[in-house]
Formats: sequence, C-alpha cells, structure tokens
Amino acid sequence: MRHLITATVNGRERELSVKSNQTLLDVLRDDLRLKGTHEGCGVGVCGSCTVLVDGKPVSSCLMLASNAEGRDVLTIEGLSRDGNLDPVQQAFLDRQAFQCGFCTPGMIMAVKGLLNENPEPNEAEVRDYLSGNICRCGTYVEVMAAIEDLTAKPR
Amino acid sequence: MSAVGSDVPRVDGNAKVSGSAQYTADIELPGMLHAKALRSPHPHAKLVSVDVSKAAALPGVIAVVTRDDLEGLNPYYGAVVEDQPVLAIDRVRCVGDIVAAVAAEEREIAEEAVELIEVEYEPLPAVFDVVEAAAPGAPILHEERFETQAAVFREQLNLNAGGNVCSVFRAADGDVDRGFAEADEIFENTYRMPPVQHGHIEPHVATAVWESPNRLVVHTPCQNAVGLQEQLARIFDLPESGVRVVVPFVGGGYGGKTHARLEPVTALLARKAGRPVQWVLTREEVFLTGRRYGGFVRMKTGFKRDGALVAREVEVFYDLGAYALSGPANAKTGSYVASGPYRVPNRRLTTYAVYTNLPPAGPYRGVGVPHVAWAYESEMDRIARHLGMDPLELRLNNLLQEGDVFVTGESLVSVGISDCLRQAAAGIGWRGREEQAAGDGGETGAAPPDTAGAENAGRDADSNATRPLHGVRSLRHGKGLAVIMKSTTTPTASAASVRLNGDGSVMLLTSSTEIGQGVRTCLAQIVADGLGMPVDRVTVSAPDTDVTPYDKSTSSSRTTFHMGNAALRAAEEVREQLLEAGAQALEVDKADLELGVEGVSVRGVPGRSLTVPQLLRVKYGDSVGSVFGSCNFQVKGGLDPKTGKGKAAAFWFFSACGAEVEVDVETGKVRVLNIATSVDVGKAINPLQCWLQNEGSMLEALGAAFFEEMVFEQGQPVNGTLLEYMLPSMEDHPDRFQSLLVETPHPDGPFGAKGAGEAVIPAVAPAIGNAVANALGGVHITELPLRPERIVAALAERDAGASGDR
Repeated sequence: MRHLITATVNGRERELSVKSNQTLLDVLRDDLRLKGTHEGCGVGVCGSCTVLVDGKPVSSCLMLASNAEGRDVLTIEGLSRDGNLDPVQQAFLDRQAFQCGFCTPGMIMAVKGLLNENPEPNEAEVRDYLSGNICRCGTYVEVMAAIEDLTAKPR
Repeated sequence: MSAVGSDVPRVDGNAKVSGSAQYTADIELPGMLHAKALRSPHPHAKLVSVDVSKAAALPGVIAVVTRDDLEGLNPYYGAVVEDQPVLAIDRVRCVGDIVAAVAAEEREIAEEAVELIEVEYEPLPAVFDVVEAAAPGAPILHEERFETQAAVFREQLNLNAGGNVCSVFRAADGDVDRGFAEADEIFENTYRMPPVQHGHIEPHVATAVWESPNRLVVHTPCQNAVGLQEQLARIFDLPESGVRVVVPFVGGGYGGKTHARLEPVTALLARKAGRPVQWVLTREEVFLTGRRYGGFVRMKTGFKRDGALVAREVEVFYDLGAYALSGPANAKTGSYVASGPYRVPNRRLTTYAVYTNLPPAGPYRGVGVPHVAWAYESEMDRIARHLGMDPLELRLNNLLQEGDVFVTGESLVSVGISDCLRQAAAGIGWRGREEQAAGDGGETGAAPPDTAGAENAGRDADSNATRPLHGVRSLRHGKGLAVIMKSTTTPTASAASVRLNGDGSVMLLTSSTEIGQGVRTCLAQIVADGLGMPVDRVTVSAPDTDVTPYDKSTSSSRTTFHMGNAALRAAEEVREQLLEAGAQALEVDKADLELGVEGVSVRGVPGRSLTVPQLLRVKYGDSVGSVFGSCNFQVKGGLDPKTGKGKAAAFWFFSACGAEVEVDVETGKVRVLNIATSVDVGKAINPLQCWLQNEGSMLEALGAAFFEEMVFEQGQPVNGTLLEYMLPSMEDHPDRFQSLLVETPHPDGPFGAKGAGEAVIPAVAPAIGNAVANALGGVHITELPLRPERIVAALAERDAGASGDR
C-alpha cells in the first residue's frame, strides 16, 4: 500500500508516494537518488544512515518514510550551500576526520545534531552522543578534534 | 617543496565530506535487477534437490540460478586452492553457503522468491573446533583436492596434507630437543583467539552486467581488482581482457574484500538475466561471508635464568571455515614469526590451515600474526615475572637486530624494532621493575593489594588524573607491553603508468585500491616528488582493469612499498623524457635543467625555460601528445616449502604497543587509560595518514581484545548482527592514545618507506592482555576476548588455589 506524503527534503518541499513498509533511507536513496546517506547495518546501530529530521539525528534505516509527513529532512547533500561546505564538513576536512568515508556523512549529520542541541559539549558528552556512529577505520580522535574546532571558535 | 613527508590533505577529502563519493551500492545501471540468495541453514549437508519452479514463476523474477546453471563453467574458484563452488553443487559446508540466487525487478520480490525455493538436504556430521577438525576421524569437508592457477602461492605451500588440513607450513632453526635440554626452565601454554568480524561498514556488494556474451563488467569494492578479474575469467572461460573490474570508492576493507566473495554469483545471475544485477549483502549475510580465522596456539619455550630464549616449539591451528581463500598463504605468514621477533637459536614452528564447518574466513589485517603474537607476548610477560625481570628489559635483551639472520635464512634489513618498543614503553610512562611490582603488589601468586593506596603507588603523573570507577577499593592498575614483526607477501609485483597531459597535469594509472588508507594521496605525493611538480597536479586513478596495469593486490601493507616504487619510477621516466626534450630545445646539457611547476628551466638562468605545453610541442610538433612513463616493479623471493628457507619478505615491518589499564576486580570491567603504539614505517610519506592507520588498527584490536567474538552454536551464528556483535564506539576509545613513528629507512623502499596498514594490530591485544595480567597480579587469561566474566572467573580460580603462572 502506498501513501502520499509531503515532506521537506534538503529545503525543498516534496510530494512523495511511499510504501507503508518503506524506510526513509530507501526513499532517500532509491526514490530521491540521494546516495550520500549509506546503509551499514539495517538495524539502527552503526549510524551511517543518520539524517536530521526536524534538526535531530535519526537512523533513517529505522524510520518509516510515512512518518516523515510534514517534517523537515536534512541529508548530507543538503548541508553545503552554493558550493560552500557547511562548517561541520569543513572541520572534518581540516582535521582529516575520515578514512574510507562510508560512515562520514552519517557522522557529520550526527555532529550537526549534537551541536544543534548542545553548542558546547564536553568530551564525555561528545563520546556519549556519538556512540551510535561507528567508524571502523578509526577516526574518533580526529572527529573529536573537529568538534573542538567548531566549539572553540565563534560560528 | 617536497610533498613526501608532509601531511598533504587527502585528495578524496571533498568527495567524502560532501557525500558525493560514489560507492558500489550507489551505482544504478539502466534496467538493473536486485539479487538475493538462498543460503544453507545446515552446517554440513548433502544437497539432494533444489526446486526453483515456484520462485521462477513469481512475477518480477527475471532469473534464478542453481547448480544447474554451472554447466560449461569452471565452477570452483579460490585464491590458493580452487575449493569454493560458485553455488553449492553436491553439498553445503557451512551455514550461509549459497544454494540458489534470484534476480528480480525489486529487492522485495527477490526476497519473496527466495522463500519459494524448495531444497531437500541430507544432514552430514559436522566439525566446528579447529583442533578436532584437524584430528583423524573428523568429518571431511573436501574429499577432493583442487588445482589452482595461483602459482605464486602454490609453489610455496605444502598442500594436500590430508583430512581437513588444507596446508602445513614449517620453519625451523637449530636443534629444538637439545635446546630444551639446555634450558633452565620450560614453559608450555595454549592460547585461543576467536573468529571476529572485519566490520567494514560498507557491506559486500557487487554490480555485474554482460555487455556481450564475451564481455563481463563488474563494479565491486574489491581490494584486488586484478585477482578478481583473473578468477572471473577462469570461471566463465573468458580471456582476462573479457572481464572488466571497476572499483569505485570502498567503504572499508581490512582484508575482508581482498578475494572474490559474491561477484561470481552476481555475474552468473546477470548472465542468465541478460540485464545488470546488483547484489548488496545484508549485515547478517556479511557475517556469513567473511571473518578472521579463529586460532589455537600451543607454545613451548625453553629459557635460561638470565632470560635468554634457547628453544621454542610452536604449533598453530588456523580455522579457515568451509573454504580456504588465501588461508594457506596467511598461515604461512604466521609460521615463521610464531616464535616472535626474538633471537631463538633452536625452534620448530608449524602452522596448520584447517577446514571447519563454519562460514569461510579470510585475510584480516595482520592475517596470521595476531594469533601468534597473542601467545608469544603473553609468554614473555610470564617469563619475566617468573624470573623477576623487567618485561621491557627481557624483550630488549632478546630482540632481533639489524643484520640478524632470521629463521627463514634471510638477513633482516631496516630493523627499528628496539626503538619501537622503547618508544611505546615511554609513551605509557614505563618505569621498569618498580612499575610491575607496584602494579600488582608483589611476587607471583601474592594476594592482590587490598587498598587503593598500594595499587596507586606505581602510577605516573598522567594516570593519576583519571577518575576512579565505582568502588575505588576494587580497582587495580596495570601496564603492559608487546612487540611484533610481520612480513609482506612475497614475491609480488605492482605496475604503474604515469601520463603527463598536454597541459602539464598528471595522471597516475594504478590498480591500487583506496580502501580508506589514503593510497591515492600517498601515491600522488610520491609521483609529485618523482616529477618535481606540485602534488595538486597529480590525479590518481581508481582501479579499472581495462585501463590500469597489474597489481598483486591492496593488502599485506604492500602498496606504499611496491606501488610506490612503481609510481616513482614511472614518474622518473616521464621526468627524464621532459628533461631530454628540454635539453634539445634549449640547447643545454640535461644536467643543467630542472623540472618544476613552471616546466623545464635552466638552473640559475631566469627566463630560459619552457612550459610543459611548449615542451610537448617541441617533442611532438603541432600534434601535442602526452608523455608516458611506466614501471613493473617486482620483488623476487619466496620460501622453499620443504625447508622453510628463502626470502619471506620484500620488507619486514615492526611495531610495539604499550597499554595502561585499570581493572575493577569485583566486576571485571577494564578501563583503558592509555595506549601508545609505535611503528617503524621506514619513512612516513604522510605522517597524519600513518597516525590514522595506527588509530584504526588499535581500535580494531581493542574491540577484539575486550568484546569482539563471533559465537557459533553447532555452526549456527549466535550473534550475527551488529545488534549482538559490538564494534568499538567513541565510548570505547582509550582515554589517551598516541601513535608514534620510527623511521628506519629501507634501502629498497620509495624514499625509504615500508608499510603501515597492519603494523600495529598484532601488538595491541597482547599489550592490553599483559596490562590486565599485571593489574591482576600475574593472572593471564589465555583466551580472547577479555570479557569481564572471564576476568572475574580467572581471579576466582586463582584465589581457589590454582596458579596463574605457567
């Protein structure tokens, strides 16, 4: 069964026909061709599919697309504006806080969500908040450094 | 300015932070179908019948493949022995073995179709424990032995050992029996390491399309494009040029994507469907597709009272699972280093690669070395404690040195191992015997200190700042060290081409895969310096077997050394051609010219120069071509499988780790206060990327040390999703981590460089294990992971009177 929903995706209002059991991740990747959001585990524990829904990080592999009705969805593709990287993306680039890059979009969106909620997190808060975003290559030190950069200077 | 040696930002950075980096699952080809497999629920069974009629009739299903579709193909493949069928033929050998596969218009249809396939199995006796599997009388997985095309490995291996033992490798020195007779003391212990996941966040995935009956194109995150091309060509009886393997960005590999995994089935489906097929594994399927070998190590060591090692006998059993992949070669890699990076005059080292009815394993960062390092470095601490020696001093006294003749008969070159160990020890503030005594309160077997004050005495300033866990009185503090060596796979070759375009920009064509390690950046740096041009002029290709030349594989930490050499020489060839053209045009001696950002110029004569486009006009006339340079870099060597002698490694790499922990002896919970790793990289082409390689190795090893373990019950996975199987998160990261580098230049390395990717991983778990044992007053837990309940149980056993020593 399909539902017609209206949601804002990366700043643009979209009318979407979604299946009842279709996840937000599948709609983003398969229907909207937004391939920057990645699936790693399918059960909401690796964090690589993280997007922001109304400013809060969500595992898009767990959220039904139909629940996005009326909500504001932001993916990695919606972060940079007019060819300029978002400050979080720039901080990741400056600190080289990525290796294979597969978890990176989800990690960046989670950091975005963290700083939305808590503009000056301490280290324990950062570790706790990002514990659901797994980077197997090992870049946690650099991600923490990127966050420090973002909180140390005025944004 | 030299690019080599500086933290040049990654060339793939913008693509990765912006989300525009394309991975295999992001590729959509017109008319593409989605695949799903039916997998065996049995660990070992005869395949009686497979009926796909209902599945094939489901609307939206375009192709279903079974063993019947292997007619006319070479149905078995494998990197070392061709033992793995594209699809199950006469039997299944593990849970997850692929019995049939479906390609359908939609993923859901493919999933539904798989449920409609009817299979009749006849269960067979199965064997899961690696030692039992190697014993006579165990159920046999492979009754026939298979030939292989992979001659490079085969010549160095003892295959056909019989039963489930796929291969045996032996290395030996001196007279072991006499060595043990001369020893003052003999220790004998066994160690176990369970199978673990690679944990690449991108699952295995492949996209296949047949452009014509003689032309197969596969997109896959394979670490070994050329090897996969060779295997697919053999399976489908095509010339190698009839198979094109293209590797987009790769979402992590760590060895788990080195060999053909799902590509043969995907290609078979695409051939039958006559349309492109994409197959993305679910995480549950990844757990059934690859893993690290489980290992069992038996180690006997004879030593003198002064700490000199005089004899060592080691037997190692690597659990391959149902299919060998590169297992025999990886077991060989473990064999000759099984006695550690130490001078041991008498030794007998044997490794067995053994089939079991578990899902297939394969190479994982460090291949066979973590298993033996876990054993020999635990033993070193036991010996030190028994002799009342400082574990650092005991190691330094026994370590191999530059020019030593190794058990393989080769002289060791570029041996920075002592520096690595000292650096790692300094990184955790190692204070020698005083430290060890303070950590656990006294001699072997003494009761642990029961006051916080006593166990705090040995801490350095840094760790005094740590916050106590609940119940301070139950906290024990410990430090541990470990040091390792590893070979890189030898003999191998890597080829590269450098193309200088008419506008002066440069393309490096290479089959080395960017798996996250920064290879494109590293090779761009090497090419830039080889040409004398800025690094931003250089673009590095992704592997595409239509275009990029041969490479053995992106594995074994071999790329910087092998492909780096090939790229450097190819760049130098281009440089020579430009200088020759310049010398001709400017009518000066070649030696008076230099190549730089502006082109060729006469040294010390401003204005006498030619830009690259001008030079090409001189060289080619008005047609303005491009300049090519190429190199096929080969390292010869290899070992005689009968004697274990020869040249095991184009280069050796060395690393050490220091770990500092706090153990709550009531709960068994361990907090990692500090990890310091040190690697001798020869020359750090890009120091920041070296740091990141070591950080990743450290984290993977930390997970395996404390909680990662694939659990099977009668061959069935118990924790086969990421809900039950934890990967280290930011919360597991040590309070403090240092990645230290030693640079002992290698005479054959590009700019002196060796390798870094795998160097740290084998040292971390034993360093942590030794730190925990130190905190527990010398109680060594011999089986990983160091779960809290194991720690509590080991202490209870010690308190009940059993000795933790020996």
